[in-house]
Amino acid sequence: MKLDKVESIHSPQNGFKNNQKLSITGSQKTWSRFKYPQSLIRYIIYLIVFVFIIYSLEYLNVPVGRFFTMFGRLGDMITKKYYPPDISYALKKDYLLYVLETVQMAYLGALLGIFFSIPISWFASFNVTPSRRFAYPIGRFIIMACRSVHEMIWTIIFVIILGFGMFPGVLALTMFSIGFAGKLFSEEIEAIKLGQVEAIRSTGANPVQVLVYAVLPQVRVAWAGISIYTWDSAFRAATVLGYFGAGGMGWYLKESVERLETLRVSAILLTIICLVVVSEVASAWARNKISKMK
Amino acid sequence: MDPLSAKENNIEVILSRRRKAKEIRYCLYAILFLLVVWSIQITIIKDTDWDRIGGLGSVIRGIGRFFPPDLSLVKYLFKPTVETFMIAFLGTMLAIILAVPVVWFSAHNITPSLPITYPIGRAVMTLSRSVHEIVWALIFVSAVGLGAFPGILAVAMRSIGFISKVTAEGIEDVDRRPMEAIRAVGGNTFQVILYGIIPQVIPVFIGNAIFQWDINIRRATIMGLVGAGGLGLTLERQLLMYNHQGVTTVIMAVLVLITIGEIISYYARKAVI
Repeated sequence: MKLDKVESIHSPQNGFKNNQKLSITGSQKTWSRFKYPQSLIRYIIYLIVFVFIIYSLEYLNVPVGRFFTMFGRLGDMITKKYYPPDISYALKKDYLLYVLETVQMAYLGALLGIFFSIPISWFASFNVTPSRRFAYPIGRFIIMACRSVHEMIWTIIFVIILGFGMFPGVLALTMFSIGFAGKLFSEEIEAIKLGQVEAIRSTGANPVQVLVYAVLPQVRVAWAGISIYTWDSAFRAATVLGYFGAGGMGWYLKESVERLETLRVSAILLTIICLVVVSEVASAWARNKISKMK
Repeated sequence: MDPLSAKENNIEVILSRRRKAKEIRYCLYAILFLLVVWSIQITIIKDTDWDRIGGLGSVIRGIGRFFPPDLSLVKYLFKPTVETFMIAFLGTMLAIILAVPVVWFSAHNITPSLPITYPIGRAVMTLSRSVHEIVWALIFVSAVGLGAFPGILAVAMRSIGFISKVTAEGIEDVDRRPMEAIRAVGGNTFQVILYGIIPQVIPVFIGNAIFQWDINIRRATIMGLVGAGGLGLTLERQLLMYNHQGVTTVIMAVLVLITIGEIISYYARKAVI
């Protein structure tokens, strides 16, 4: 029996046939990764997921047939309406100034967000939090609220309160960065070695001193990488924040979309893609450099 | 040269190098500080309409308009919440299906042809990640019309990039020995991928898909703002009616939905990994 299996592995041409023979005769157990109750649970989960897919397609009235005709229409639309992008529009001075302002907005928002998320992530990490009963839930709640409300909703709220302009955009990006960086920061703190924390604590240090001398030196490098990543994500969000009234190039996007000037829309989209690729390459390079400094 | 002076010399060199590094670092800090000041000056001080904001009192009054939440809206929120959940779910499923060829093309070691398909895969990945979901939604709304369908497509397009990037990186540093073993027993390329690579990366793939699903719920909540369905549509309606208290209620529904999603994804990830 065992020999048979070994042989089947050694001769790939016969392998499939032999295996089949094994399962047909049923005289020996075929190997399977999951044993009986587990395999049943797996199939039930697959079934539930499948049924839920069908049910939600039904519930949302999704025209599934349109999925396949969509590509033709999309290609048609792109070649006919969007094709030669109006590059000269994207090179105008006003627009380039707005691009610069977008970069500044993202930069400021990310910086403010990182600044605020340092204390918040300190509160929200279970192992070094100043008080597990009060500070921990507060920190967790702030991070969760900032993270779950999408940056566009933050933009709308701040635009309603403060009016149009860059300032609400900066604040929206701040909230976004608190949610983004705060979560990663606190995860990083929760993974530190506690020996140094104990050592500093045993000298009679207060919680702030523990943070400064025991926690920060351990997470410094990781936090620098996360900060750069935060800036990258904030920039990606900043490119369209203007769509809801915060400043930057999103405002131009909205204008062109609503006037149906599709060639300009494609030019703006091209600039967004180029900028994001540049920022991604730069941030990957910087993160690589930082992780090597360790 | 006697060893003592050499040592001194060394110390001098090290100290001066350190001093230089310090100077460079302070210069960098100064540049950063100036950049921040400049950005604040342009974006916040010059660009903001301070008369419109007024004093602190009017800001607080502005915030006060959002409270208390308009609870009469709650009974209308159930259906859009379920819709948002379903948009995120279907979008993630579609992204999982569409990510498979992208992963295959963009993993360095299994791509069918390095000069042709590898750049295509990489380009799709970058495009999907760099275009914001709002822009995807705008594109698909103009391609397939209003409703939940463009929302699903936009969410799917946006999450392909991340899923396939992490999975392709996982494939690029898989353990090579199982692949070699399969090849040694005469497996063709397809069999090598199926038996040598997929078992190694499937936990990464599914874990990331669940993580993306979690984020996709967040993304699905704003799809309605540009014409795709879900909670965003309700939010948009409240905004158009200047019913700011209703906006708070919708945001509370978003929080509840995301908490539920986070709990489900926590247990799902635990079960997979």
